[in-house]
Amino acid sequence: MALNITEIMRLLQFTDSTFPVGTFSFSNGLETAGFENMVKDKATLHAFAKSQALQAAYTDGIAAIAAHRAYLSGDYDAIVEADRTLILCKMNDEARQMLKRMGKKLGELGKKLFDSEIVDHWLEDIKNDRTPGTYPVAQGIAFAAAGISEEDLFCSHQYGVVNMVLSAALRCVRVSHYDTQEILYDMSKDVPALYDKVRKLKVGEMHAFFPELDILASLHEKGNMRMFMN
Amino acid sequence: MAFDYQSHLTTSDTGVPPVDFSHCSEMAPYLDTPLAMYVGAPGKHGYLRLGFEIDPRGKSILRDLDRRAPLIVQQALYFDKGMPEMPCVYILSSGGPNVEGDRYQQDITMNKGSYAWISTGAATKLAEMTHNYSGLVQHITLKEDSYLEFMPEPVYPCRHTRFISDTTITIDPTASLFYSEIFMGGRKYYKEGELFEFDILSVCSHAERPDGTPLFREKFIIDPKETNPRQLGIMGQYDVFSNVIVLAPKDKADEIYAQTNPFIDRENRVACGITHLPNDAGLLFKVLGMEPGPVKKIVRDFLATFRKVVKGKELPEEFPWR
Repeated sequence: MALNITEIMRLLQFTDSTFPVGTFSFSNGLETAGFENMVKDKATLHAFAKSQALQAAYTDGIAAIAAHRAYLSGDYDAIVEADRTLILCKMNDEARQMLKRMGKKLGELGKKLFDSEIVDHWLEDIKNDRTPGTYPVAQGIAFAAAGISEEDLFCSHQYGVVNMVLSAALRCVRVSHYDTQEILYDMSKDVPALYDKVRKLKVGEMHAFFPELDILASLHEKGNMRMFMN
Repeated sequence: MAFDYQSHLTTSDTGVPPVDFSHCSEMAPYLDTPLAMYVGAPGKHGYLRLGFEIDPRGKSILRDLDRRAPLIVQQALYFDKGMPEMPCVYILSSGGPNVEGDRYQQDITMNKGSYAWISTGAATKLAEMTHNYSGLVQHITLKEDSYLEFMPEPVYPCRHTRFISDTTITIDPTASLFYSEIFMGGRKYYKEGELFEFDILSVCSHAERPDGTPLFREKFIIDPKETNPRQLGIMGQYDVFSNVIVLAPKDKADEIYAQTNPFIDRENRVACGITHLPNDAGLLFKVLGMEPGPVKKIVRDFLATFRKVVKGKELPEEFPWR
């Protein structure tokens, strides 16, 4: 019981929006979607958040789970493989920057929180450009090191993605706090089925088909709207 | 007793490598045996090997050609008014649409300094399928200073089509590649329309340097039963999708990026976006639209920028019958 409470406390800590990795500063192309009138109300925001969650699940989610399993089995090479594969599969320049920046931050925090050779080794490899140091892989390592389960890791990953979009929406889409909370509450019911699919996929099976999101991200990348990085 | 060609001639007898995607988990529901000709039977196991090189006179030519039915390549023509020195090749399929159990492989090598344009003679139709799937493997190799424009006509899936492809690109840092694919959501005007009624499209492209250093890997799986492609963020209201991979030296890629503006044209219902691939490999350009014509036009305009930046040459007007 006591152990479970500690795990839940750590899950809350690592998932909280004040956790210092910078999730608050990215909107994932939402500003552009708002400007183009594609996301304009609760229903369209819900659909947008759903696409973001799915896109992340089949890329970042697979990498996070692989890193978590690799940490627990002491397989450092598998951590690096997940890290490198994820960057190869990230087709958006700003998304790659975001993942690397947040990953390094979490790795540095992990060095203070855990006494772990794997964390030290990984940070050293990031500094020497031997591995990209992505956020989902950092999450996988940190959650495993903190004794948090794979299922909880996936929940935290999905919550982080959706919450990032919904928090940004409060500043650039005509929706209320009630709307965003209703969306979040509704989306949670889809996560168990999603986890059941994602957990069976290997690192080499990452995939994504979200061309509309890609075009929005590109417009943001080359455009003038800079409320958020992306 | 007559020889039973439907079940006895094995793939190895055709002398070309087997094409098999049974290891891909998304194809697991589609591995049953076709009721007609077996998987990989002669005539269903197409193979094409194209090798371009510079001949002693300094001309880029199609030097190496090997093929198995139903894939056909006729002689290289030099019809491009902007680059009359460039061999242009159409890949054709004598079998009509890709049907269940079809396996194709296309190996294209651009030797040092060579250049070429490759397309298909007409749209690639992927037939309605009840058993198994149709698969395509491609190996595209570009050696030092070589150049390839690969712009096939659109791919049309039908109801219950299952199609998977895997394209491996091996490219020298000095070479340049324009590789485009256009996918229709389905036969839009057939009967009541068949948009996104196919079973699955799984498309993977990945590139590496000659020493094996990986550059990028893009895989997309469109499984309409699993996720509605009409969802905002996926295809939304659009019916046609194009993916263009540009691999070029960094200075050229940066110039192409600078000259290309992403846009969403709400009136004409077309949109495009561009971004940098990982590892300074090049660019990724995506187009969405309602009809193949406007999408092809945007892809072709992007090809014009690519050719101008890399070769300093103009792209002529498209033939009116294309």
